[in-house]
Amino acid sequence: MFFNLVKRNSHQLRKENGVYFASLIVAIVAFYAILSLGEQDVMRYLKTIESHAVERLLLLIPVLYMVSLVFVFFLVYFANRYQLQQRSHELGLYLLMGMKQQKLSLMLISETMWNSIIALVIGLPISWFLTELINLATARLVGLGIIGHVLRISWSGMALTIIGFFVVQLLAMLLLSAKLSSKEPLELLHEDKAKAQQLTTPKHGIISILSGFSLLLGMTALCIAYGMSILYLRELHYLTFALILFVGISGTFLLFHGLGNIIGVYVKRKSTSSTGLAMFTARQLQENVLYQWSSLAISSLLMLVAIICFTFGTSIALNNTPAENRTVDYTFSGTQQEMEALVTSDAIAPYVDHYYEMALHNFYIPEEKTTTLSYQFSWDGLIQAVEQQPASEIKENLVNNLSMAGTPYFISLASYNAMLETAGKKPLQLASNEVALYTSDARTFPYNLLKQALKKQPTLEIAEQHYTLSETLYSVPIVADRAIQLSYALIVPTDLFDRYFSADENNFWNMTLKEAFIEEKGLMQAMFEVDQQLDSLGVDYESYLTNMGRQLFYTVAGSYTTFYLGVLFLIVANTVLGLNFLMQQQRTRQRYETLAMLGSDVEQICASARQQIWLYFMLAISVAFISSIVGIWSLVTLMPTTVVNLQSGITMSLVMLLVIGIEISYIRIIQRKSNTEIRKLNEIE
Amino acid sequence: MHTSKKVLEVKELHKIFGNGQSETKALNGITCDVLEGEFLGIMGASGSGKTTLLNIIATMLKPTSGKIILDGQNISSFKGSQLAAYRGNQIGYLFQQFELIDNLTVKENILLPLAIHGNNLNTQQQALQQLTTQLDIDELLHKFPSHLSGGQKQRVAAARALISNPRIVLADEPTGALDTKNAKILMEKLTEHNQQHASTILMVTHDANAASYCSRILFIQDGVIFHELRKNKPEESNSTFYERIVMVMAQLAGGSSNVL
Repeated sequence: MFFNLVKRNSHQLRKENGVYFASLIVAIVAFYAILSLGEQDVMRYLKTIESHAVERLLLLIPVLYMVSLVFVFFLVYFANRYQLQQRSHELGLYLLMGMKQQKLSLMLISETMWNSIIALVIGLPISWFLTELINLATARLVGLGIIGHVLRISWSGMALTIIGFFVVQLLAMLLLSAKLSSKEPLELLHEDKAKAQQLTTPKHGIISILSGFSLLLGMTALCIAYGMSILYLRELHYLTFALILFVGISGTFLLFHGLGNIIGVYVKRKSTSSTGLAMFTARQLQENVLYQWSSLAISSLLMLVAIICFTFGTSIALNNTPAENRTVDYTFSGTQQEMEALVTSDAIAPYVDHYYEMALHNFYIPEEKTTTLSYQFSWDGLIQAVEQQPASEIKENLVNNLSMAGTPYFISLASYNAMLETAGKKPLQLASNEVALYTSDARTFPYNLLKQALKKQPTLEIAEQHYTLSETLYSVPIVADRAIQLSYALIVPTDLFDRYFSADENNFWNMTLKEAFIEEKGLMQAMFEVDQQLDSLGVDYESYLTNMGRQLFYTVAGSYTTFYLGVLFLIVANTVLGLNFLMQQQRTRQRYETLAMLGSDVEQICASARQQIWLYFMLAISVAFISSIVGIWSLVTLMPTTVVNLQSGITMSLVMLLVIGIEISYIRIIQRKSNTEIRKLNEIE
Repeated sequence: MHTSKKVLEVKELHKIFGNGQSETKALNGITCDVLEGEFLGIMGASGSGKTTLLNIIATMLKPTSGKIILDGQNISSFKGSQLAAYRGNQIGYLFQQFELIDNLTVKENILLPLAIHGNNLNTQQQALQQLTTQLDIDELLHKFPSHLSGGQKQRVAAARALISNPRIVLADEPTGALDTKNAKILMEKLTEHNQQHASTILMVTHDANAASYCSRILFIQDGVIFHELRKNKPEESNSTFYERIVMVMAQLAGGSSNVL
């Protein structure tokens, strides 16, 4: 009997509050998605090559999980409060009929638990399916290949999802039950009346001056925060950051605190000229803002964070395309004999496309060597050319760096061209007495400044002889492992290089794999296979995969977690706003009845409510959007590596459109729900 | 006296709630007229059907059978926008619990029926002024309902019911939530308006004191009209009319004639 009641009630709740139930399912999906990250093919694979970073990320997941639990707790608490409020009359009746307080609490908790079970039964398969889909998609995208894919269920992820979900629901319900038990049955029976009387708009006068002041202060604070983040955020000082956060957050709160006032002024001005329900709509909105300003501010801030998370995630995903710039697959160090033995061995030979020597050496006098050659070197010509550029901090740094740089690495032109040719690029031509500047660090390099300086055709001095610097700055990777960084190196004519360094001194060898093999297996799978062969031979090597893995890791981990947080924040923000509105509508439903009695058409009332919802959401959304423009701007200037090109611009606009789309559908859902509630009021027997 | 025009005609009105065994007859064929400028009271014990009658006239309930005719139009057959045009425009309402919208100011509340029906509010300023002065609420126009006393609230509600010059004002126990003093003020104001503007008022009450302000009273029992009282205007005072009302009420409640 008791269980039947619980089942019936929970069915009713699901039917009446589909928005909340859907939010719960999305929360379950998000939980499982983040908790099962370690089980993703890409992550499992990365564990074998970048175990340290992956371990660190997996340590971060519990933190993310806890943070999301806190947010979901608020969601659940809020939604259940709404439901209890809607049912207060019914609950009062149960008490009046002699149901014990504990039994009532038990009933409510059981209802929530029953709904949780149903949400899990629906949500878990969806989340498993979705994660598998993401899994396959990322695997394909990075060239992992789907051949080795096995369907996998993260049991620990599932268990943690279930446990977290139940704990949060139980906690919320216990708190709400405790609150409920302090109420008398009569209070519950007349809950709505009592609440409705509390909802009164304050008198104009001192309060309105105060809130007008807070509006002004909020706007000023926001502008200061915007200005500060554009001007000073790039200094990356944590105090600046904290200050911007503080000013921005308090500005948002103050703005919403004062916003009710401006609506009041508007209504007062319009009160004798507006027809229909315009005035009622404005007053309802004003009341909502006056009483819910803090949740409006929180929702708006959450939306802001969500938008920034989405943009950040997209920019990470866009800027780290790992398959780019692959010139060398493997680099070995050893003698020519060793290398030849390796590439002709049975295990490796089938995979090898090309192999060549990468002649690379630092230009200094070896201690053990007695030589008549001159090792004189000077950057002076380049330094002068740089000094002629307009004054800037970057210029000072560059001049300093060059004066401290000492002797550079020399790269033999023959090696460099061998590398270019195997990668299918045009070889480099150097005139006599010409050398070219090379850096493997183009991202953090003062690229533009140096390019300008190179246009002046500066000269360098090598062994008392002048060499012109080529106009182009080169940065195509010359070895497999990007961890090897050459800040300032020179590509020099082969004869110059050979004059100083004999073949046995150069001990880097590059190797590339057969294209057909890579196409067949997918890049990662193919390299993984060769890695295993090399491991079995006990050879030391640097693989492009290590480098790619590192980038891939940051891409996957970064975009995955930021998207996860974005989705979570967006759900919480929208659910809070939506339920807040519906709660107010529920509390003030008598007004809607009165309107109908005074001759408002039901459709007219529904339209007023829809407009209220639209405006209410737009307040939060528009503030979030304006702030997010500044936020994204600062983000772009903060990370010079995020190159904002046309393609990423389009993608980011798509992300924005997606957020707008989500918002619009959310608004629609709430509007539909509100319409049903209003139509229910006006059913004539 | 019978030359007055009929504003409202109620014809053979039946209302049955539920069906089968749980069937309850709330109205069992009521027929009556409301004349122009009349202040008609409807009295009866709880469950007699008086509120059902008012709710049907107010279009909050649909009759099982029978007709309600307002100025020659059968309003019980109205639907949707027809209903909306009728409510608040042709009919003004006064409720026991005032039903003011508490986030609108007094002025906004009073003008709401006009705004809903798309009237130009600027042309109504004079009517507003006149009405609020008469009801003694002209000082309160910019206050919110939560800052008013019960009596003030009900007078604001009365102003809202009267602002659109409705054909008939329906009042459901308007003094039910008021103390005696405020009830008296309200009834005096309503009577005053009724007499000066010849407005038609239909009031449901079980308060004999309030009913004594009416010009005619219908007593309902078990869903039918049981008795009718007319005030002998203008010579009969409220107090003598009150005594006659109380006597009928005593009979209704099972007074001397029903004693076994």
